[in-house]
Amino acid sequence: MFWAGALFMVLLIVVAVVGPTMRHHYLEPVAQPFLEPSSKFWLGTDEQGRDLFARLAFGARMSIFIGLTVQAVALMVGILVGVAGVFAPKWVAGPVMRLTDAMFAFPDILLAILIIGIVGMGFLPVVIALSVTAWPPVARLVMTQCRALKEREFVTASRALGTPTIALVRGHVLPHVWSVLLAVSMVELAGTILSESALSFLGIGVQAPDPSWGSMINVGRAELQSHPMVLFWPCLALSLTIFALNFLGDALRERSDPRNL
Amino acid sequence: MPRIKTTLAKSLALRIGSGMLSLLFVALVTFVAGEMAPGDAALMLAGEKASPAAIARIRTELGLDQPWPQRFARFVGDAARGEFGRSYFGVKEPVRDVLARAVPFTFKLAALALIVATLLGVGLGALAAVYKDTWIDRVALTIGTLGVTVPNFVLAPILVFVFVIKADLLPVNYDPQLPVAEFYYLILPTLVLSARPMASLSRLTRASLLDALRQDFVRLAIAKGLSPWRVNIVHGLRNAILPVVTSMGSSFGFLLTGSFIVERFFTVPGIGFVGIDAIQKRDTPVLMASVLVTGAMFIVVNLVVDLILPVLDPRIREASI
Repeated sequence: MFWAGALFMVLLIVVAVVGPTMRHHYLEPVAQPFLEPSSKFWLGTDEQGRDLFARLAFGARMSIFIGLTVQAVALMVGILVGVAGVFAPKWVAGPVMRLTDAMFAFPDILLAILIIGIVGMGFLPVVIALSVTAWPPVARLVMTQCRALKEREFVTASRALGTPTIALVRGHVLPHVWSVLLAVSMVELAGTILSESALSFLGIGVQAPDPSWGSMINVGRAELQSHPMVLFWPCLALSLTIFALNFLGDALRERSDPRNL
Repeated sequence: MPRIKTTLAKSLALRIGSGMLSLLFVALVTFVAGEMAPGDAALMLAGEKASPAAIARIRTELGLDQPWPQRFARFVGDAARGEFGRSYFGVKEPVRDVLARAVPFTFKLAALALIVATLLGVGLGALAAVYKDTWIDRVALTIGTLGVTVPNFVLAPILVFVFVIKADLLPVNYDPQLPVAEFYYLILPTLVLSARPMASLSRLTRASLLDALRQDFVRLAIAKGLSPWRVNIVHGLRNAILPVVTSMGSSFGFLLTGSFIVERFFTVPGIGFVGIDAIQKRDTPVLMASVLVTGAMFIVVNLVVDLILPVLDPRIREASI
């Protein structure tokens, strides 16, 4: 399962990187609408006569890019907040923990929708909205891990030797958190890609004419009766990506085995 | 005994208090969002041709000339009474009326989906636990994994393709004009919406029931020679159901908020539909109200579930959490 997931993700990244440049342009019509798949148009053309494979490949690029950016922000903020919640002095740790808990009162998609309502629709607002909703789970995970590690002998010993807190966290705590964090961020990445598609599907995410799997599904819905394949490909790509990332996350979690902590 | 009662009362009071704080936090975030949103409420409501005096009058009426703590207090007070101002567009309908029309749809959909998800999920999970490691278990596990990972807006077109286009059994879009009972319009949205909670409830039921079936009282029940049905259902499932009930509560919360996509796909005019529409029209009061009301429903449902639990389970009542 790990290798199936890994193989699919590698394939997807290759398609995302070289796909859009390799095939026809993804924004302009290149042929008749709704052509059947052929050697020229690998997956046929969409309702405006644009190359479906090129658009799908660009959608992959969009999903992966937004997913990785959001997860990078979430990891940075989440680790900072999580470590601060355990190791910072009380007057910092208290409010930080309170804020993290409060963030869970807000269902993710609702907060994202509210932020997009203020910032506007498009690529950047999606990144902002998803980043704001993505860090609390990371922070909470880092907090629980840190809290357990704080009581371990090697941490207490190092502290007794007078290691400054920052060096202590970097040298003795974070190295033990990475593997669990990697596993979780695979699943979180799947969640982010899914949310991006959901927002684009709702028409408030990535805006036309830029292709995104979500907006392709939204547009393809109108042609479901006559040309279901236009809808089929983005649905398949999205589902397989979510599966692959979940497989990867599960496999990594088993390998890292947090019970050893 | 009295000591137990006071600790329980204390923990319940704490839970209510934290629920209130969550509500206040959601209100604060919504308020800040409204402050940051482009567009001046007084200008939008007065119309483009209004005189400066008229705009100033509306500004005072809405309290927009006051400092923000006062405005926030007023916002919370108004929201508690269900007042959210007026829509920026059309006939400038009070947002309260817009919500009054939309909320019942969302509620109906979420309630139906919860019923379907519970029946199917608990049934599937119980089957999987009783027939552990057989093909039934594997089928249930596959359905569970698919239900959690396949996105709503991928499942929806698949169901539409099968039931509407191929089999021609059901209508797709919500349309009160057509002479088909409303029930038919709600079948597909309910199924799509229930997929995810159904999957997680089935996983949870399986794990919880397996755990219960390992207990001594089940071994005793088997030793007494009770029928497998009585052992599994009466002694097992009854003791396994508690985590499922807890999860049902949060599921219902997620169903209320998760209906954005399903309502959009099937054009059900619920609160999610109204909210997305408001973003596209930049109708800030309607957007704020739909986010606030959905968030509040989510918090209140979870609070109610936490308060009901001690009633259901004497262990919680006495351990006082």
